Amino acid sequence: MPSWVAPVAGYLAGGLLTTLALAAVSIVVSVVLGTVLGALLVLPSRATRLAVRCYVEIWRGLPIIVTLFFIFFVLPVVGLRFDTFVAAAIGLCLWGSSNVAEVVRGAVQSVPHGQADAAAALGFPWHGRMRHVVFPQAVRRALPPLVGLVVNLTQQTSLAAVIGVLDLLQAAQRSIERLTLSSGVTHAVPILGAVLVVYFVICLPLTSLSRRLERSLRQG
Amino acid sequence: MTVPFDPAFLLSNLGPLGQGLARTLGISAIGTAGALAAGVLLGALSALRVPVVRQLIRAYVAVFRNTPLLVQIFFLYFALPEIGIELGAFTVGWLSLLLWGGAYNAENLRAGYEAVDPTYVEACRALGFSRLAAFRRVVLPLGTRTALPSVTNTLISVFKNSSFMIAIGYPELTDAAVDLVSVTFRAFEVFIAIGVVYLALVWLLSLAAGLVERRFAIPGGH
Repeated sequence: MPSWVAPVAGYLAGGLLTTLALAAVSIVVSVVLGTVLGALLVLPSRATRLAVRCYVEIWRGLPIIVTLFFIFFVLPVVGLRFDTFVAAAIGLCLWGSSNVAEVVRGAVQSVPHGQADAAAALGFPWHGRMRHVVFPQAVRRALPPLVGLVVNLTQQTSLAAVIGVLDLLQAAQRSIERLTLSSGVTHAVPILGAVLVVYFVICLPLTSLSRRLERSLRQG
Repeated sequence: MTVPFDPAFLLSNLGPLGQGLARTLGISAIGTAGALAAGVLLGALSALRVPVVRQLIRAYVAVFRNTPLLVQIFFLYFALPEIGIELGAFTVGWLSLLLWGGAYNAENLRAGYEAVDPTYVEACRALGFSRLAAFRRVVLPLGTRTALPSVTNTLISVFKNSSFMIAIGYPELTDAAVDLVSVTFRAFEVFIAIGVVYLALVWLLSLAAGLVERRFAIPGGH
């Protein structure tokens, strides 16, 4: 093995840890916050729905990079200063939670209306209908797209490199620059190739899980 | 702290932002059209189960869907020159969007084609249609319409993801904005402005997608 490989691999491993930490934080916050927002979107209150709708449409519609720049460059103007990791996590959570909210809303509304009506006829109050009839069915429907979103969020963490977070991609980029300066050879193919492989190994099992969940849902 | 929002500043800098927007629209248009064409072709080849070709398409789709677009862009721009393939920022811009969107659309459309009730194809075959004719006349029109929502979603993502090209210094809208901020330090005006532009275009595209989906909805479908 050439002598440059070991130090670069160690450096990339450090970057990978940051990537995984960023993914974990974004996924957990997005799922929790998004589920709450999604539930608010199916509440009868019009004002709540409108407020949540605004949040969802803005953060889902903006390219994540623009959101990240906004948090990183604009918020300091009003005195809110975050380090790059926190700024990236906030940006990813805004995007992730608004997407989860849409998935949850879609799943709840895709449960046939007759189900809730039948439960109402049997004397279930609103929260009982939701808890025992609508929610269990909605979860099954929401699961495949949610796993897809987890894959998506994991991949989007690479955008943090653009605002300077030392994640897997940024570590690769710095390694390439260092090697170019010290030896004149970039080694960009093996290094960026390795980054692609790492993401692939993480995402492929999740993608096939999402597909399996979808298939089992269709077969009822 | 009060934030001075100065519309006059924006008006006097419409030039560079406008040029950025034009480049964003340019690579998005090529990327979108290419992703649509690639998706229809590859989706059809997978659904028709052409041997070998089908496995190759599956590998392509798996690689491009399971790795981040930003890393793909870096690979095209920084790694390929090492093996003698030099692509400019503009080429990497539209090509990466095309390859990424094409992989998603191939999957969207394959799923759409395979969702068409197989008894329709059996009926066609019984009536003497060739396999290809049955696909072209029945599976293609029905499957494409089923896949339409996921396809338009992917195409809107292609447009939004054109902003990734800032990472390779292609002067599209986001890059032009950051450039302007680094010279003028007017982050507030500039990012609000491009945020509004992106949102307006995404909402417009969603509206158009909704119209197209309704126009082509399968009658009697859910």
